[in-house]
Amino acid sequence: MSTVKSILFKDPASTESARTILRVVILLTIAAAAVASRLFSVIRFESIIHEFDPWFNFRASKYLVKNGFFDFWNWFDDRTWYPLGRVTGGTLYPGLMVTSGAIWHALRMISLPVDIRNICVLLAPGFSGLTAFATYLFTKEMKDSGAGLLAAAFMGIAPGYISRSVAGSYDNEAIAIFLLMFTFYLWIKAAKLGSAMWGGLCALFYFYMVSAWGGYVFITNLIPLHVFVLILMGRYSGRIYVAYSSWYALGTLASMQVPFVGFLPVRTSEHMAALGIFGLIQLVAFVDFLRGQVPSKQFNTLLRALVILITVVAFTGLVTLTVTGVIAPWSGRFYSLWDTGYAKIHIPIIASVSEHQPTAWPSFFFDLNFLIWLFPAGVYLCFRQLRDEHVFIIVYSVMASYFAGVMVRLMLTLTPIVCVAAAIAVSSIFDTYLEIDSPEEQEEDDSKKSKKEKVKDTTGGFLSSKAPFIGIYSVSSKVAVVAAFSVYLILFVLHCTWVTSNAYSSPSVVLASRMPDGSQHIIDDFREAYYWLRKNTPYDAKIMSWWDYGYQIGGMADRTTLVDNNTWNNTHIATVGKAMASSEEVSYDILRKHEVDYVLVIFGGLLGYSGDDINKFLWMVRIAEGVWPAEVQERKFFTSRGEYKIDAEATDTMKNSLMYKMSYYKYPSLFPPGQAQDRVRGARLPSEGPVLHTLDEAFTSENWIVRIYKVKDLDEFGRDHFAVSAFEGGKKKGKKGGLAGRAGGKRGRRVVRI
Amino acid sequence: MRLLPFLTAFTSLLSLSVAQKPHKYFTFTDLASSSKGAKGTVLLNDQLFGELTTAPRNYTSVILFTALDPRFGCVLCRDFQPEFDILGSSWHKEHPNGDGLIFGVLDFSVGKGTFQRLGMSTAPILMIFPPGNTLSAENAPKKFDFNPNDITPAEAVARWVTTSSKHTVTIHRPFNYVKLFTFIGGIVGTATMSKLAYPYIAPALYSRNLWAAVSLVAVLLFTSGHMFNHIRKVPYVVQGRGGGVSYIASGFSNQFGLETQIVAVVYAVLSFSAIALCLKMPRMESSGKQKIAVMAWNLVLLVLFSFLMSIFKMKNGAYPFFLPPLIA
Repeated sequence: MSTVKSILFKDPASTESARTILRVVILLTIAAAAVASRLFSVIRFESIIHEFDPWFNFRASKYLVKNGFFDFWNWFDDRTWYPLGRVTGGTLYPGLMVTSGAIWHALRMISLPVDIRNICVLLAPGFSGLTAFATYLFTKEMKDSGAGLLAAAFMGIAPGYISRSVAGSYDNEAIAIFLLMFTFYLWIKAAKLGSAMWGGLCALFYFYMVSAWGGYVFITNLIPLHVFVLILMGRYSGRIYVAYSSWYALGTLASMQVPFVGFLPVRTSEHMAALGIFGLIQLVAFVDFLRGQVPSKQFNTLLRALVILITVVAFTGLVTLTVTGVIAPWSGRFYSLWDTGYAKIHIPIIASVSEHQPTAWPSFFFDLNFLIWLFPAGVYLCFRQLRDEHVFIIVYSVMASYFAGVMVRLMLTLTPIVCVAAAIAVSSIFDTYLEIDSPEEQEEDDSKKSKKEKVKDTTGGFLSSKAPFIGIYSVSSKVAVVAAFSVYLILFVLHCTWVTSNAYSSPSVVLASRMPDGSQHIIDDFREAYYWLRKNTPYDAKIMSWWDYGYQIGGMADRTTLVDNNTWNNTHIATVGKAMASSEEVSYDILRKHEVDYVLVIFGGLLGYSGDDINKFLWMVRIAEGVWPAEVQERKFFTSRGEYKIDAEATDTMKNSLMYKMSYYKYPSLFPPGQAQDRVRGARLPSEGPVLHTLDEAFTSENWIVRIYKVKDLDEFGRDHFAVSAFEGGKKKGKKGGLAGRAGGKRGRRVVRI
Repeated sequence: MRLLPFLTAFTSLLSLSVAQKPHKYFTFTDLASSSKGAKGTVLLNDQLFGELTTAPRNYTSVILFTALDPRFGCVLCRDFQPEFDILGSSWHKEHPNGDGLIFGVLDFSVGKGTFQRLGMSTAPILMIFPPGNTLSAENAPKKFDFNPNDITPAEAVARWVTTSSKHTVTIHRPFNYVKLFTFIGGIVGTATMSKLAYPYIAPALYSRNLWAAVSLVAVLLFTSGHMFNHIRKVPYVVQGRGGGVSYIASGFSNQFGLETQIVAVVYAVLSFSAIALCLKMPRMESSGKQKIAVMAWNLVLLVLFSFLMSIFKMKNGAYPFFLPPLIA
């Protein structure tokens, strides 16, 4: 046995260089796997920007590359939020665009002129490789490089992170998770070494994070919380003081250089914890210093009273400043994390976003698979040694689990710590069961006495590790456990690949469906419609749509929009909601006042596309009701039995609303009389479709997903449009065939696909 | 609108009642400021209701038809009553004389006749009777739409009254002294308790095991979807078809209370097995016992993970993976 071992495994010290090479190779392989698993969407579809927000980021990146950094900084965008416009340069997190701009310039410098679109598409997969590396470094600080490699592998393929970083998902989170992990790594390093250099580096990456994602507040609160818990545990030390002070002072000053952040770090409640802990740690340091100088007991009592007094005064001052409004209270989005019912009542615009919904347990399992049950085990293992950095893992775990439970979107911040904790657990198991040496069984009586006393105090009386470590005796037990965990690991890889391929790789701009013979059919209605807008409308045409599609219209059709996904002006969004929810008489007035030329609606009834505007309609009504409670009432869109109906039983308010009319205009004509059906809501529609007086149908895409209407100009004779259509309807009765009404606009094939 | 025939029936009595009660407005304001009922609201009965709603009226009356008796089991009525009382008292506070707006409550137990005449079969119903000399369409009573899922706040009703009459009602919620004193008392009590109990609690406070347990319970609670239950107020279990109880919700983004508890327990046992395997097993002294224990924990891990996978497959039918021995 020992000879075999000496041949296979040399002395660890002599194999160090081989181990390093192996580690580098493994890390590179993990990075390659991380990038490769994110390329499904590019291979299945094409190199295209996904979803909604990435379209804005893409547009901004193009602007940056085209006009240079200073123009980008001062960019006032008059083609969104018509007629208000948006100070885009000052209201965005520029980190993402600047990163891809820098890459673009760097590649050009080495004579590789890559299109900015390809950089944008591939930025997220590229950064995921770096995230895996940052996770390795972070976990290595917690346990050892073995656990680090496992954590990097988990992080590379965990669906919880892939969901926001597939190729084409050009969003702030694409680089932010790397920055998050790297900042935390630097913080741990700084706290361990008590080094101002690492603290400064931490502040530098914190600044990068602030410039890249609004989620930086998570770091802003987690690091102070870590310090606070350490102080409470009586673990204050000079190292913590140096690390925290250098990070806070430099990081805060740096973060204030981002225009969108500005003075928020000293004026809002979200940042007050960091400021408060900064004050507290100065006090603690002062007391600590004095205690070393003055041994008198009475003086210590006096000092303690002084500290408590100062703390109380500072806290009261903070409360007073908040009450008097100098310090802004928690902003709605953060407040709704604590008071979970708040958003639904007061800020429907936040509650309406699907990624702000609470998380059901299947989502956790879907995104993390077996990591989710290894996670508590890893946290428990951290309690065994409980060094300062382990406290960080524990604090992070509890906070992030809470946030991920409240908001689906924050699963993203939970995923890294789950990977780290699970890697610690798996690596501990492998450490124990992959040890080739088996201990010799000892005599019962002497081992019991001697060993128990020896090792008792090293673990601080911690449960389940009081007895001395012996090892695993039988080879079969080792094989069984290692085999079982290998199966789980393989299953995890299969799970991740399946989830990525099936759930997270759809661009959502292009839809895919299966034909009866199993082949893939691409539904490209969105781009068809946006391209139509681009080619057939004047450059300064104003398009009204629900805010979800604002960025896409701006990015793909290059037309002016009224509202978009940067939901900064609730009233303006409510205006659009009111126009959609009101009858034509009211809406036409709003449309004219906002100089709207075209109205765009998404309708999924023909294809069974459930994310359409009729399903989002209630949120439009709610948001409009929040501003005009007298004119728009949610109750009126429900039948007397409280149902949301679109068929013959729909309420009059519903049937007269602009949204309903635009969605179902001429829709029944696709079907034999009386058989018109809405495939999303599974309802049979009345055979008489709605009549539009103030809008003309301009374009309907192939599968009717996008419908565009042109707002009629004022009548030449000064009549209102209802009088006009009544007049014309009366006069030209009989002449007007079914087709005459369609002559005005081009539209796609009208084929019913079953 | 079902009220109209009833009102037309009253027109025949119109001249009579006008002649008899020229000052009835004062009577009702006297009633309103009297101690009967909550401050500012009049407790009506069949006769009073008749008098109150008979035209001509130079006042607006807002009347709540309710059924507070526990026999009727009207939860919404009981939930809404305090809000309505706040509405009445708010108006009374600003306008002690009523100023032409009266709030009345007609309970089913004293107003059966009216409920029958008006053909009301549900409660609560809130109506506003605008002033008017004759019975025309424009001063016909209007009905308030209750939100059936939630308690309607007094502010919403106040907005409705403001829009459907010439009176502007603002809500003044009485300051909750009980809450304030409970809060202060709570703080003082907690401070005293912790001061007194500190010597006894301190060892527990610095106990690693306690904090480990607290953190793990929190993590397990949150990752098993407890916050979803809390926010969406999902049912604990649901009566399934055929009398059985279904405790696993169908659908990927849905869950029941019991279901999350099952999942949390499964997670807990799985993590505990992992902890046992890596911390406890190598510390066992007897090799025979160790072998059995390792195999046992390994088996527990396998079976429960397999169980978890099968539940997940139930929720998400398209999920292709499974783990023996349990294949759903």
